[in-house]
Amino acid sequence: MASAELRIIRRRIASVSATRKITRAMELIAASRIVKAQQRVLQSRPYVSSLIEVISNVGRDAGGSGHLLSEVRDVSTVGIVVISSDRGLAGAYNSNLIRMAERAIGHHTLEGRDTRLFVIGKKAQSYLRFRGYRIDQTFLGLTDRPDYGHARAVANLVIESYVSGEVDAVEVFYTDYRSVLYQIPTRVELLPVQPPTDADAQEGRSVSYSYEPSAEEILSRILPRYVEAAIFGFLLESSASEHASRQRAMKAATDNAAELTKVLTRVANQARQAEITTEISEIVGGAEALMASDR
Amino acid sequence: MASPFNVDVVSPEGTLWSGDAEFLVARTTEGEIGILAGHEPLMAALSAGPVLIDHDGDQRTTIAVHGGFMQVVENRVTLLTDRARITAGDRAEAAAEALKLSEGDPLDFEE
Repeated sequence: MASAELRIIRRRIASVSATRKITRAMELIAASRIVKAQQRVLQSRPYVSSLIEVISNVGRDAGGSGHLLSEVRDVSTVGIVVISSDRGLAGAYNSNLIRMAERAIGHHTLEGRDTRLFVIGKKAQSYLRFRGYRIDQTFLGLTDRPDYGHARAVANLVIESYVSGEVDAVEVFYTDYRSVLYQIPTRVELLPVQPPTDADAQEGRSVSYSYEPSAEEILSRILPRYVEAAIFGFLLESSASEHASRQRAMKAATDNAAELTKVLTRVANQARQAEITTEISEIVGGAEALMASDR
Repeated sequence: MASPFNVDVVSPEGTLWSGDAEFLVARTTEGEIGILAGHEPLMAALSAGPVLIDHDGDQRTTIAVHGGFMQVVENRVTLLTDRARITAGDRAEAAAEALKLSEGDPLDFEE
């Protein structure tokens, strides 16, 4: 017959090892997703680097003719895009990024600039809403497996606000995926598009193209594509980072649960032993008393 | 046999097709254009339509393209397209597929 203490400890052990099973499963799921997300990041890179090559070639050849999306204006309103995740349980992934974005918003406000918030992911949305920021647009449900259509929707909104003059610059906050162990929150100035410098192009050769239809026309078609591709890249990087952070957080949780089970088992054994000792001494005590009364 | 040149068909989801080709037909905003080896440097905006690539002597690959850009430099053709699909069938099927790609942009998931 187990004592109350022992029963409570046994119940805790059961609950902790059930939790451990859950976190372990989440860890494995996240780990399998990292691989996929990483592949997608790698697969998207040739497209972006080719786009940059084309833009810089056309820009150089056409004498850097100005385009609406690369025109630098006096900045009175800044569009801020925050790429967070929809789900938590990913360690400090969201809080690091959101804190960085919030600091930037504060900085802009201090400098007398207005901000417009375009928020991706539930986490940033609820945090910023709670803090009383006005959110212009929220996108939900795309951080887990972003596709190009999602990127295009975000890009359209951003380009529209820029072209209409509602914002004069756009900054993006996302989490850069360096490796499984290392992801950093990053700030990027997306608009106005900074013309890629020669250093970014693969080689600085000058090519005189023939154009169909014309250099200006091609530039005005290709810059929106570039914005889309850039946002797509940010979404993919963020997604890979999210899965990596979640895997790490869940691994830590699993390890902690295992450690806790070990400690609790030891306490339970001790309690059980104490109980047996008590029982034995009771029996011995009883026997002694009987023997004493027989005499 | 015509001398080959290098072709890459690149989309944001990955490199769709890559290899040496002898002849390529694409539809630009101005009309159809055929590319052979040694073509002059060209930068073209593509409209939705089929792209035909003749390679390895008698092989032909058709790709439905939603739109994008084609760069021809130094015997290297890069097709940049935001959406494309390799189609098994002939040109007409690829054209129909391209039209399908340009319909229905999936933009309706906002809050």
